[in-house]
Amino acid sequence: MPRWVPSRLVPALSLSLALIAGACSNNTSGGATDASGACTPAESPQITLAAYSNPYVAYGKLISTWQSEWKDAHDGQLVQFLTSFGGSTTQAQSIVNGLEADIYASSLDPDVQTVADAGLITHDWHSDTDGSIVQSGSVVFAIRPGNPKGIENWDDLTQPGLQILTPDPAQSGGARWNIVAAYGAAMRGEVPGYEKNNPDDAERLLEGIFRNVTVMDKSANDSLKNFEAGNGDVAITYDYQVATARAAGGEEELVEPPSTVQIRTPTVVVDANATKHCVTDIADQFVEYLHSKEAQEIFASSAYTRPIDTAQAARATDYLPAVKDLFTTDDIGGWDELVNTTVFGPDGAFTKAFQAAKG
Amino acid sequence: MAFLYLGLFIVLPVAAILQRGFGDGLGNLRAALDTFGAVNALKLTITMAAITAVVNGIFGTLLAYVLVRMRFPGRDLLSTVVDLPFAVPTLVAGVMLVALYGPNSAVGGWFEGHGIHIIFAPLGILLALLFVTLPLVVRSVMPVLLELDPAEEEAARVLGAGRWITFWRVMFPALRPAVAAGALLAFARSLGEFGAIVVVAGNIANKTLTAPVFISQLLQPGSTGGGPDAAAAVSAVLFGLAFVLVLITERLVSHAARRS
Amino acid sequence: MSAIAREPGGPSMSEEDITRLRDRDARRGRVVRGVMLGVSLLYVGVLLLAPLAGIVLYALRAGIGTISSTFQLSDVQHAFTLTFEIMLVTVVVTTFFGVVVALVLARDEFPGKSLVSALVNLPLAISPVVVGLMAVLLFGRGGWFEPFFAARGIRIMFALPSMIIVTIFISIPFVIREVVPVLEELGMEEEQAAWTLGASRLQTFFRITLRNIRWGLLYGIALSAARAIGEVGAVLIVSGLLQGQTETATLYILRAFDQYQDQQGYIVALTLAAFSIVLLIGIETFKRRRTSRTA
Repeated sequence: MPRWVPSRLVPALSLSLALIAGACSNNTSGGATDASGACTPAESPQITLAAYSNPYVAYGKLISTWQSEWKDAHDGQLVQFLTSFGGSTTQAQSIVNGLEADIYASSLDPDVQTVADAGLITHDWHSDTDGSIVQSGSVVFAIRPGNPKGIENWDDLTQPGLQILTPDPAQSGGARWNIVAAYGAAMRGEVPGYEKNNPDDAERLLEGIFRNVTVMDKSANDSLKNFEAGNGDVAITYDYQVATARAAGGEEELVEPPSTVQIRTPTVVVDANATKHCVTDIADQFVEYLHSKEAQEIFASSAYTRPIDTAQAARATDYLPAVKDLFTTDDIGGWDELVNTTVFGPDGAFTKAFQAAKG
Repeated sequence: MAFLYLGLFIVLPVAAILQRGFGDGLGNLRAALDTFGAVNALKLTITMAAITAVVNGIFGTLLAYVLVRMRFPGRDLLSTVVDLPFAVPTLVAGVMLVALYGPNSAVGGWFEGHGIHIIFAPLGILLALLFVTLPLVVRSVMPVLLELDPAEEEAARVLGAGRWITFWRVMFPALRPAVAAGALLAFARSLGEFGAIVVVAGNIANKTLTAPVFISQLLQPGSTGGGPDAAAAVSAVLFGLAFVLVLITERLVSHAARRS
Repeated sequence: MSAIAREPGGPSMSEEDITRLRDRDARRGRVVRGVMLGVSLLYVGVLLLAPLAGIVLYALRAGIGTISSTFQLSDVQHAFTLTFEIMLVTVVVTTFFGVVVALVLARDEFPGKSLVSALVNLPLAISPVVVGLMAVLLFGRGGWFEPFFAARGIRIMFALPSMIIVTIFISIPFVIREVVPVLEELGMEEEQAAWTLGASRLQTFFRITLRNIRWGLLYGIALSAARAIGEVGAVLIVSGLLQGQTETATLYILRAFDQYQDQQGYIVALTLAAFSIVLLIGIETFKRRRTSRTA
């Protein structure tokens, strides 16, 4: 080493590395599963919840309610919660990349599948209570007060000169719900001018809509906020999202299309992480709690969601109007088919429509 | 040990990206470029960066001249304000732009009313980039201006040359490398800007989606573009471009330093 | 006297003509200078100052009550603490190694030196998103180093270490860029003199080298600190957004706007801006000392 570099620098190097390594040790608290598979639960267990962005108020209430009920039933034991809210797909990607979430509250099935494909979810979540679905809603249109553009149905979205906001399907689960809703409504013959069971017509509808899309935000939340900021004439979004915005003072109004898809959002325990942190049992119980009557009421009053059962969901709630034809993804082929073939596949209705509209 | 530090922190991550992106040949890059909006994201990024470099190249040089060659009350204050973007977080810059030019604000509303879209439009991106890169040009040109001997200019003026000719024929040749270096740096910086843009731009594929935001989108599993491998490929290309630019800038600066 | 009037063979001019020409020239000069100044001020005002004014207005509009309650939120306090911690570690590491690298770059000759110099400047041009991606490739599941750390129970990704690492990466250039020119100008005479007089390497370093570069160094540190607290793109990817644990001030701002807490968002943003401006004034002071020192 050159003469003028003092020899003390080498130990100082190790010191800084130690500083960084020291910062790491904060993270390895809590219970752990040792090599033999035996589990030593921590005194004060910690659950990490990664959720999609919309239901932050609801989960805040659900967590604190459940925490105090658990404390009463378990000798004063406090279960701590670490929460992270972001785009559903982004959260899935983070979990796959190593975010050690014990519970994943997704906004749609395919995102959960992503996590499962990475080997992190090993149980069959479709067979759990309610198929793991904890919230439901429908895809609607958010419009300016008084509905100046006269938006009533999906075909109204194709009128020339209209400016539509919808999130980017590559990043937002909400965006895919929106597209599937339009596709499904057309396929079921509920959109005037578009033939029932005609995939080409469904593609035509999507193309017409996306010709008018001016902004594609990274999440459903962003999309609506963009709309509130004054951009666009209509935003395609969740009904409970609009209700949340209106409760926060937004002036937009809601139009329920005659035929739309029931949004069903699953919340699932991520087995690999829960086992590693030795909290599987607790996580299972929290997720089970989400299906209880009490929890569903909290969802309804804080997140403005609909009941899980499709027939009940079609009825009006305190905050949301009734839906004439509420269908589920299963009614139009199921998520696997929609994602891989009919809508988002390489020859899918949306893929082709988007290229035609934006190319 | 310096090499250990650099190697650890810079070379290693770069190698990781290169390996991931090009480990399987050019296929990943092709997949990424095939993605919808990829080519336009790159085109938009490069266009915006170029415009920024030119505009700030001009105004940056003007500001440098004003700060070095003119005396006026508040000169020190102006010099401080020019450095503002160095200190302010880019996200905050974006937030500020939205606050000022968003459609709900008084100013933004006026613009919208006249059909000029700023936020969620290319103009907004440009404003954000101009904000972030202005000091780069000014600080690149100022030291060189300070070194210039005013005697040459005085001689030209005395011989009857107008102000503009003096500037163009006498001063500018000496300033050229510094202006170019500053503009190149502004260009390179614009290629990578994320914080200011993500708030301001709206991310519309083929319209206001810039490459860095596009790359972050490629990282999403639902993306049709090929996932992290493709993201790595596009990143590596942007990276390589930035690296080449920085190399050129270095050469320009040292070349000018050697000459003076 | 003015050479303008002395054109060979041309008509000679009266004193008044000369004066008039000179006055007109001076006036034109003043007008041009005025225009240049005006344009510059306008550009800076519109581009830089107006947005700052906008955010001050929006934050203050919230009122004192909201402002104080915002600072009492645990999430906000945690976010500020976290940002500060990351900044501190980043500054220490980049200063320390920055000086070492600067010494090597300024005083040694070796093949590939300009390549190394370019490498040092690279983080300035790379998008923070790409930096986040690099971290994922190195430390995420399936990453190059992940097995090593996982086996020892050390969590890097989605925890503080990865956030520190990416922030260090983007802050590397600042100290080096500021110290190298100062070192190059200073040369090594003083150090060599000290050695011949019997001073140890350590003494020489602290008493002479460090003293000489101190203003440039402080300027670089201030820039580095400002950059560190403002980082958002990379930490967005590597932090996992765990509220109360891995959410920096910038990430908090993003979430606040997302969750209809605009006022809190503006307040925290303004706080960061205010802190940055204090840093900026520090930067300016150090810079002036540096230029007056080496002039």
